[in-house]
Amino acid sequence: MEALELYTVDDRADLYTEELKLNLGPQHPSTHGVLRVELKMDGEIITASRADIGYLHRCAEKIGENVSYLQFTPYTDRMDYLAACNNELAWSLTVEKLLGVEAPERAQWLRVIVCELNRIASHLIAFGTYGIDMGANTPFFYAFREREAIMALLERPSGGRMLYNYVRPGGVAHDIDEAWLPDVLAFCDEFERRWAEYNQILTTNRIFIGRTANVGVLPREMALAWGCTGPVLRGSGVKWDLRRDVPYLWPYEELEFDVPVGEGTHGTLGDCWDRYWVRMREMMESVRIIRQACQRVPSGDFMDKNLLRQYKTPLKPPRGEAYLRCENPRGELGFYVVSEGGTSPIRCRARGPSFCNLSVLDALLPGCMIADGVAIIGSLDIVLGEVDR
Amino acid sequence: MNEATLHARLAASGVGGIGALDTSAKDPFVVVEKDALLAALAFLRDDPQCRMEMLHNVTAVERPEAMEVVYHLCSLAHHHSLTVKVRLPRPEGGTHQNWIPEVPSAAGLWAAADWHEREQWDLLGVRFTGHPDLRRILLPAEWIGHPLRKDYVYPTEHGGMPLELDAVPLYERREGAPLPAAKPPREAGTPLFQPPSPFSTRPAAAGGKTVEPGQDRPGNEGHS
Repeated sequence: MEALELYTVDDRADLYTEELKLNLGPQHPSTHGVLRVELKMDGEIITASRADIGYLHRCAEKIGENVSYLQFTPYTDRMDYLAACNNELAWSLTVEKLLGVEAPERAQWLRVIVCELNRIASHLIAFGTYGIDMGANTPFFYAFREREAIMALLERPSGGRMLYNYVRPGGVAHDIDEAWLPDVLAFCDEFERRWAEYNQILTTNRIFIGRTANVGVLPREMALAWGCTGPVLRGSGVKWDLRRDVPYLWPYEELEFDVPVGEGTHGTLGDCWDRYWVRMREMMESVRIIRQACQRVPSGDFMDKNLLRQYKTPLKPPRGEAYLRCENPRGELGFYVVSEGGTSPIRCRARGPSFCNLSVLDALLPGCMIADGVAIIGSLDIVLGEVDR
Repeated sequence: MNEATLHARLAASGVGGIGALDTSAKDPFVVVEKDALLAALAFLRDDPQCRMEMLHNVTAVERPEAMEVVYHLCSLAHHHSLTVKVRLPRPEGGTHQNWIPEVPSAAGLWAAADWHEREQWDLLGVRFTGHPDLRRILLPAEWIGHPLRKDYVYPTEHGGMPLELDAVPLYERREGAPLPAAKPPREAGTPLFQPPSPFSTRPAAAGGKTVEPGQDRPGNEGHS
C-alpha cells in the first residue's frame, strides 16, 4: 500500500545513509510473543514496516470444524491466553445464541465476576510488560504479585490457574465455595491500595511519560477504519464499550461503571500514554463492577439443568448462524458460527481484537524512531496467540 | 435502526442487486450481488443514517452450492449492526484445486479489510480482486492449498518434514527395538482423515464420561 512507496530513501546526498533492512523478532522480548516485523531503517528512523504473523498459528478454526461445540471451549482459552474466561464467555454466548438458551441468573453474575477478575489480570500483564518495554523492571513484579492473587482466586472454582475452561455453554462449570465472594471483596480492597502504588512508580514517572506521550498517535478516524477496538480505540477518545453500549450479558445493564477514554493528558490525544492510562483506569472500573456484582449473586443453579442433560451427547444446535461480540480486555472478540444441524459447526470464525489492533502497526511505525516502535507495539497490547489463532 | 429498517434504507438507496432480508438464521442478513457489493458497502458506510464506521469482520463460508463471503458491519454512532453476504456459486465440479472464487476487495473502503481478506485468501482461497497486497498471512508463503476448504487434502510433508501423525512414533521406540512394521503406503493424494462427506454430521462420541458440575473430579478429592 502506501507504506511501500516510502521505501525510497531521502536523496539528499550529504545526509545519505545506507538503507538498512532490520528484522525485529520473531524472538524478541519486546514483541510480546512470536511476532516478526520487517523494518526498513534510515539511520534510527523507520521508513517502512511490514508485520509478519502466523508463527503461532494452531489451526483453531479448522479444529473448531472438527470437534463438538463443548470440546471447542478449551481451545478458545488458548487464543487470548491471558484472558481465558472472556474468550470462553464469548464462545459460550455464541453457542447459547444458536441453541436459544440462556444461562441461569447465578451463572450470569458469576460470569461477570470471573471475567472482570480476568480483565484485571490481563491489564496487569499489559502494565507490567509495558514497564519492561520502557526499561522499568520493577512494576512487572508488582503486577505479578497481584495477578498471582487473582489466579489463586480463579483456581478455586475452576481448578485452573491460567486456562480455566470454567465458563461453558449453559452456565459455569462449578459452583463457588462459601468463602469465595468475601475473598474476592477482600482482594478488591487490597488491590485499590496497590493500584495507587502503580501510579506512583510508573504512571507519573517522568521518564515513562517522556517515552510514551506524543508517541504513536492514533487518530480517531484511523482507529475506526482499521477496526481497532478496546483500549486502543478508547485511547483515541472514542467512548465505546460493548458492556455499556451493546450489553451482551444482561447484568452489565444493571451495573454502574464508567468507560474511561483517552484525553491527551500529557500530549496528543491517542498517543501511547493515553492507551496505557485507559487500561489503568479500566482496572478500577472492573473493581467497581466486581464489588457490585458480589452483592447481587443469587442462590440457585449455576448451570442450565436442561442443557447439562444434553451434555451427555454432543450438542446439536439447529441450522442457523450467529455472530456475537464480547468486550475482551484487548477489544471486541467476535465469534461467527454456522451450524448445519450437526454436532460440529461447518464454520467457526474467531475475530480476534489483537488481530485488528496489530494490523494498524504498519501504518503507525513509519516515521518513528526504532525505540518508539517498541513503545508502540507494547501500547497495542497484543497477544500473539489470538493474532495467529 | 434494526436490521429491517437498515435493509429497507439500503434497498431504497438506488444501489441495484440488493436481495431480500433473510431472517431464517439467528442473525438476519442481506445477500448482495457481487457487482453491487462495493456500492452497497460504501452506501452503508457513508449514509448519515447508517454510518457503519467499522468493518468488524470479513469471513467466508464454503457451502456445497456456493462460497459465501460475509461482512459484519457495525455503527458506533447508532449502535446498530448489519450482516452483508455475497454468494459466489460453485461451478460444476468445482474443487479447491480448480475453483478460486473472486469478489471485489473492500480494502479501499475500510483499511481493516486488508488483513481480514488476506486471511480469507490464505485459509479459504477467496481471491479479493483489487486488494493491494493479497499474500498469505498465517501460513508460509510456499504452502499449497487452502486448509479450510472442505475438500482440502492434508499434506504428508512440508519442507522435508513428515507431517503424518504416525510417521514418527513418540513413545514406542526404544533403543535397539525393532522398527514398527511399515504401513501399507497410502495412495498419493488421499486425505489423512477421510470424513464420510464434508457436510455430513459425525456420529456421537461413544463412551464419553461426563462429570457433573459440583461433583469432585477424579483425583481432585480434598481440594475445594
